[in-house]
Amino acid sequence: MGETSRRKVLAATGAGVAAGTVGLTMGPAQGPAQAGEARRTSSSARESVVAYIEDHRSGTLRLLVGEREVVVHDRDLVTRILNAAGGQ
Amino acid sequence: MTATSSRASSTRRGASEMSSHREAPEMAKDPVADSTDVYAFVSPDRPDTVTLIANYIPFQAPDGGPNFYEFGDDVAYDINISNRGKGEADLIYRFRFHTQVRDPKTFLYNTGPITALGDATWNRPQFYSLTRIKDGKSRKLAEHLPCPPVNVGVRSTPNYPDLAASAVHRVGKRRVFAGQRADAFHVDLGSIFDLGTLRPFQAAHLIPSPSAVGINSLQSFNVHSIALQVPISEVSRAGDVPTDPSQARSVIGVWASASRRKSRMFHRGEGKYVGHGPWEQVSRLGNPLFNEVITPMAHKDMWNARQPKGDSLFAKYVNHPELARLLPVLYPGVFPNLAGYHKPRADLNAILLTGIPKGVVPGFTNFTGPVESDMLRLNLAIPPASSPHPLGLVAGDAAGFPNGRRVDDDVVTVELRAIAGLTIPLVDPTFTPDGAASAVQDGTTDTNGGTTLTFPFLGDPGGGYQTVPGTSSAS
Repeated sequence: MGETSRRKVLAATGAGVAAGTVGLTMGPAQGPAQAGEARRTSSSARESVVAYIEDHRSGTLRLLVGEREVVVHDRDLVTRILNAAGGQ
Repeated sequence: MTATSSRASSTRRGASEMSSHREAPEMAKDPVADSTDVYAFVSPDRPDTVTLIANYIPFQAPDGGPNFYEFGDDVAYDINISNRGKGEADLIYRFRFHTQVRDPKTFLYNTGPITALGDATWNRPQFYSLTRIKDGKSRKLAEHLPCPPVNVGVRSTPNYPDLAASAVHRVGKRRVFAGQRADAFHVDLGSIFDLGTLRPFQAAHLIPSPSAVGINSLQSFNVHSIALQVPISEVSRAGDVPTDPSQARSVIGVWASASRRKSRMFHRGEGKYVGHGPWEQVSRLGNPLFNEVITPMAHKDMWNARQPKGDSLFAKYVNHPELARLLPVLYPGVFPNLAGYHKPRADLNAILLTGIPKGVVPGFTNFTGPVESDMLRLNLAIPPASSPHPLGLVAGDAAGFPNGRRVDDDVVTVELRAIAGLTIPLVDPTFTPDGAASAVQDGTTDTNGGTTLTFPFLGDPGGGYQTVPGTSSAS
């Protein structure tokens, strides 16, 4: 799935919730954006974030931010991170 | 928040406690989060309240400077209360600490005598907040409460009893204290973990040697205590002060837990770890001894991370405890009746996992329901004993262990004897305990600072200057 054809939006988060599952949905690009370039949203994290892939086969990414854990299910994103971790 | 001057009016020595010092492989490497002992009892100094104490950081040498022992700023310390019989925390008191460095130009813990908690000569004061969590909602009850300094020595912390007493704070109708105390736990670790030797009985051991008195392995060591005294009505199920000991709603379950952030990243610029993500439980303690000698080593770390409500997973280790199988082997011919008993240990299951139902001990129950969960169960309707017996319930003193746990309850002896079969007849009258079951003990006594008659009940810690390693007592 090409990055130029979609925009990924964090669909559900909950401030103060210890752990939440976030669905990554595709939608039309909102406003001008460069191809392949993600835009930050108003709810974007403003602090350091730790990303954790416990099982490289699962397509699940865990983001540790503040006192929260956000679980992201996105095989494509996981694959790109795994590739980056492999030096690609 | 108001500092009080309520100091111990007297001290007492004697009896013993069992603990959970270094009880699991991972926790043995993380002493700041290692809960060592938990106590819960109706307060003898204020019988309309309950006192809850959780100790951490075992084996503190009093002279361990210049970076003395302190609570972890990166640890959440919880005292959990279950009052609905489900092994879940219906009420949590959470303690969070933060440490200051007043003078960044010195390496010293103190730059002169510390005579008051606000003295500028105390270079590394520690403060804490107290939060109450109920039904998922948090309410901060107090913040920036000062701990006392550690007991450095006669020049640095003169008149330590008054200094520590000034760190007993009133928060509404509650009292709270967090700081260093003398470890009242005593046990002969050196012998027990040398193939189950009990020095007074080692002549009968499989590898015999002449009988000897026990040696307190924790002699002169301190711990860090979190102590909280709250109205009974604040922790009971119905928000009242129960008066009928036969009612299940009179019983609460208590355990301590410590949590760390899910991820720790090393921050090179600060030279220390920075936490990310939610709090994850790394330590818990309810009944003394449970994780230490009931849970197999391979499962101890997992046990520490779980909630009591899931403890049915470990019931098989309670029902058929390894130590009960070992005693007849280690002491040949001494425990023939125990060796021949192969039924599940319903007595231990009741004591440790469900509470004791009605009808087992006349006039007493601390049954919380069928959910198997390791909690210290306290019947709030039973008043403090006028003459406490260190063997508690088995000696006819229903205000003592396993009805909660007081600081002077000799739970080492109680649990040794229970595992040896002394309590089997409570649930199986056909069994006759071996004679040794009512005699086993490790032969130690509390040779540390002595406990007190008033909150926070644990004695002042041994001082760094005063305590000579290897001597018979802290001073």
